[in-house]
Order: sequence, then structure tokens, then C-alpha cells
Amino acid sequence: MKASLFAGMGYSERHKFPFTWPVPPVYADPAISVKSYQEGMDECSLAEDVGFDWISFSEHHYSGRIPTGTPAVMAAAVAERCKKIKIAVLGHLLPLNNPVRVAEELALLDNLTNGRLVSGFLRGTPNEDQVYSVNPAEGRGRLLESMDLIQKALTEPQPFSWEGRYYQYRTVAVWPRPVQQPFPPAIVGTRSDDTIRYAAENRLGLGVSFLSVEETAVITDKYHKWCAEAGWTPAPDNIVYRGSIYVAETDELATEWFEGLMRSKPGPNIPLRRTVAEAIQSARTGGPFDLRGLVAGSPEGDVVGNALGINFLGGPDTVAKQIKEFHDRCGVGVVDMPFQQNKVDHNGVMKELELFGKEVIPQLREF
Amino acid sequence: MELKFKQGQVDAAGFKVRYWEAGNGRPVIMLDETEWRNTKLHEALAEKYHIFTLEIPGTGDSATNTESQSIGDLASVISTAASSLTSERYTLIGTSFGAHLAIWQAAQSPDSVEALILISPTAILYQGVIAGTTAQEFHDSLFAHAENAQQFVALNPDVFAKESALKCRLGSGTRGYETESKFADIHCPTLAIFGRNDRLVSPEAARVYREKIPNSNIAIVYDAGHCIVGDRPEALVNSVVDYSEHWETFIVGHQSGLINP
Repeated sequence: MKASLFAGMGYSERHKFPFTWPVPPVYADPAISVKSYQEGMDECSLAEDVGFDWISFSEHHYSGRIPTGTPAVMAAAVAERCKKIKIAVLGHLLPLNNPVRVAEELALLDNLTNGRLVSGFLRGTPNEDQVYSVNPAEGRGRLLESMDLIQKALTEPQPFSWEGRYYQYRTVAVWPRPVQQPFPPAIVGTRSDDTIRYAAENRLGLGVSFLSVEETAVITDKYHKWCAEAGWTPAPDNIVYRGSIYVAETDELATEWFEGLMRSKPGPNIPLRRTVAEAIQSARTGGPFDLRGLVAGSPEGDVVGNALGINFLGGPDTVAKQIKEFHDRCGVGVVDMPFQQNKVDHNGVMKELELFGKEVIPQLREF
Repeated sequence: MELKFKQGQVDAAGFKVRYWEAGNGRPVIMLDETEWRNTKLHEALAEKYHIFTLEIPGTGDSATNTESQSIGDLASVISTAASSLTSERYTLIGTSFGAHLAIWQAAQSPDSVEALILISPTAILYQGVIAGTTAQEFHDSLFAHAENAQQFVALNPDVFAKESALKCRLGSGTRGYETESKFADIHCPTLAIFGRNDRLVSPEAARVYREKIPNSNIAIVYDAGHCIVGDRPEALVNSVVDYSEHWETFIVGHQSGLINP
């Protein structure tokens, strides 16, 4: 099994942010920002040195918690530091982006890394529907069409026009062509049936994030079934699980950290006003939305959102066993982990990466 | 506005060729599959142009065609018929087998055809009708979505058999190299349109048109099968009307991005 560092590149003073999304840019001190990115890149370098297989970047907006709104830029910078490891953009939020631009970024990154790129296609979390003013009701359709267009753009040797439902381009001719033919490995991050089926039918990989083993298995079982119906069997690298982690020298130390975290009452990971959250959900699902009813039933400043849990917690042996469950039950071949947790500073992340490389990665290699 | 299509008939090289015409403006000659002769595309074009939809001899209600010995033969019949209908240079639009014919017609009559639009052309990399396929099965295979197939009526089995025999005898789907050799002789602006989910024409085909027809563009219609007008009529109309108006300059954006002036 392979290990991937989810490089969050978090702003080091992120624990001082208010419980809002977006986080107002006034909280960003450029000097701290610059230092934070340098620290993040140091974490990437160490991950490569201690034996990680991939480093991943993800598109998130308007917050310093994962301030990589343009993941391809971040990936390019790290790729120049880390010369051997796979560079995974997991991924672009397709409904928000010009799909031709995404194809160009992926093709360029695959060239800059000489074929080390792994790409990812995602819809994005509900809050991100607000970024670039995309209608949440169109997110699913935009995602499906974008995936089709990006694959076509990366593989078509002649200029073409695209007459889509959401996208129309009269000239598409992506340069350069990818190093990996026909195109770099692509992971579809999803929990939805139509997108799981799309990944299976188009021989693309599958990414699942932050769910339990049981919940993940429901998704991967469908994926395996639909892959078989499409006449192929996914390789281990085709299934990626992203889960948050805290690893310490012992289970007791890890538990102590977690209890401290809980005592600090961490706020929601992506806090949204209840009205806004409900409006987005309603637009996504086509369900009813009663603005005035919601306002009447909500306290002033009502904010909703879930605190992000920890998927892998413990000493090295415990963490390895927890990861193995995803491998054994779900067929996961790559585990992608954000180490930048609340109450863990840069030095703490570096210490964890050293420990993970020394004590956990050798165990992952056994399965 | 409901357009009235007027039916007529013209003599051409021993054939009596039926046609339907509507609209005013520059002439457009259309060669369509029998079941797709009255679509949103025809309505849209007739609002701007004088369109003539021709019944290809040996298809539809016309008599069995045993006279034409090649695609080129049949194309010259159509060319003669078109010349009887208009003395002006015209835009030629062919769909499926009609596009195969249109390629030959454009190569044979460069002085008559001012622009060429090929919709799901079956000239090269076409798998043809698999032996034993029924008219209904073939019909269903033309669409990306089953619900769209229900909006059109499958060919009568006798007509299907007659048309399949003609296409097979003329080499549609088996002698693409002969048509491909004509590509370099087409010098008018040419647009070739393909459905992204076309099950009859290989996706490799589009690039060959772009490579070998000197002034050509290719368009891919997302989420459409072989019958693009059935699966994505608005997208097809948009491309065809735009190209008819602007030829190769249709790649230049004309839509305003201004939101709040």
C-alpha cells in the first residue's frame, strides 16, 4: 500500500481564525503566509525523504486552513523541490473551473514532473459553490461534462470545437500533450452513484474522503461492481482514501492529544450561516427552501458545520492497523493524509512525518 | 411560427428526386436520413435560408435504386438535382449517409458548393449495419439516451432493408479509403460534427477530417449519439446555424460578456 501526504499548506496562525467562511483576508499577514508556505514545502520535502509515495494538493478557497485555491501552482512549486515523488492534484473542483484551463494545467504539470502527475476531479464542498458564483443546481452536470471534456482535450490530436450543455469552446487544442499517455491517472472524488458509475465506465480511479470503513465500503463495493460490468479490474492505485491523522509514539500520547483537542471545543471545519447552508443544499437537491421560516427559527448568528474528526489516531501500530482495514475491506491502495491538524504546529507535523515514515510506512509495504 | 414545407419533384439523371423546400434567403441543400427530414434543425435553418431537403434516390418512399453504381454516381445525381433547384452557390448539409454523399458532391462540384457541413458522417471508420440487426434495434443504437429514441419513429422494416442494401452495395462503411482520397479535393469551408457518444462512427474519425480537408473544423457534441438532432437539438442547431453564417470564422466569439452596463 502507498502513502500520500495531503499537503494542506495551512497558514500557521490558523487557530486564530474566527468561525466563519470565508475567512476575511484581513487575517492574512503576508510575512506569516510566506513562512507558512515555506514550512509546508519543508513538510513535503521531508515526506519524500521518509518514503511517502505521493504528495497531494487540493483546491480550496477563501480560507487559510488549506490556502491552495490554485493547486496547480502549488504543485508546480513543490515538484521543483521534490524530484521523485508522485505529484497528485486531488483535485481541481471542476464545476468552478474552465475545463480547458484545467486540462492545460494538468498537461503542463505532467510535463514539468516528467510524468509524475496524478490528477483528481471533484465537485467541491457546498460552501465552494459560492466561489466564482456557480449555481449549486448545476454542479453535478458541470462535473460530468467537465470530466468528459478534459479527457477529450488531453487526448485529441487535432483542434476541435466542443458543444456542451454548460461549456462551449470553438477551438480547443491543448499544449503540451501529456507525458503519460493517453492521459495522467485520474481519480474521481465522489460519494454519488452517477459519478461512481462514470469513473467505473471510463476506467478512472475513485477517491473517498473522511468516511468510516463501513461507509467507504458501500462506495467501493459499487465501484468494483460497476468496473467489473465495464470489463476491467481497478489496480490498487485506482482507489484512494483521504483520512485525517494524528500519530504519536504511543496510543496513550495520541489519545491525550485528542482529548486536549476535544476540550478546546474545535469549531466547525467549514462554518456557514444556517440560511446559506440550507439554500445551497436546497439548490443542489432541488428541495424546498423556506428562508423566512429558517430565520424565524434560528438564533442570531446561527452557524452550522461539522468539526472534522480524526480517521487515524494512535501509535504507529494502531494507525497501520486502521489503514489496513481500508485496504482489506475497501481495496484502497493509496492512503492520503492531512497531518496539519488543529493544535499541531509545523514542528509537530515534521515530528509526525518522521515517525510515520519510520514506523508506519514499512508496515504499509506489507499489504 | 410553424413553417410550411412545400413538396416538389425534380428530374435528375433519370431519377425523379423528391424534395421539400421552405424559407427564403441563400440556398441550402440538405441530404438527410429518411426519419430525420423534419427536425428542429430544418425549422431553424428555414427561418434564415431557402432550404431544400432532398430524398436520396433509393431511400424513403423512392423506388429501389439499382442504377447508381457508386457513391460518386449517386452524388452526381444529387448534384444535378441541386443545380435544377438553384442556380446560386449553396451550402450543402449532409447527415450520416447523406454526409457521405455530400463529401463526394462537394469534391465533384466545387463551383456549386460554397460551404459544407457534415453531421455524423459515415464516410470513414463507420461500422455499418451489422447483419441481422432489425430496424428498431438500429434505430435505438442511434441515440445516446433511450428516451430520445422514442421521439423519432424507426424506419419501416422494408424501407430499412432497401436502404441498408443500397448503402452496403455502394460500399458505405467498407470502402472509406475511396472517400478519404476525396478529402483533399474539398476546398470550401467545411465543418464535420460528431456526437461524443456515437456508437456507429469511431471517435478517431473526426481528426481525419480535420487533418485532410484543407479548410475544415470539427465539432464534438457532448452527450449525443449518432442522431445528434435527437439527443442535443439545440447544440446542433447552434453549431450549424453559426457555421452557415460565419463559415470558418465561427470560432470567433460574438456573444457579449457584459453583465451590468
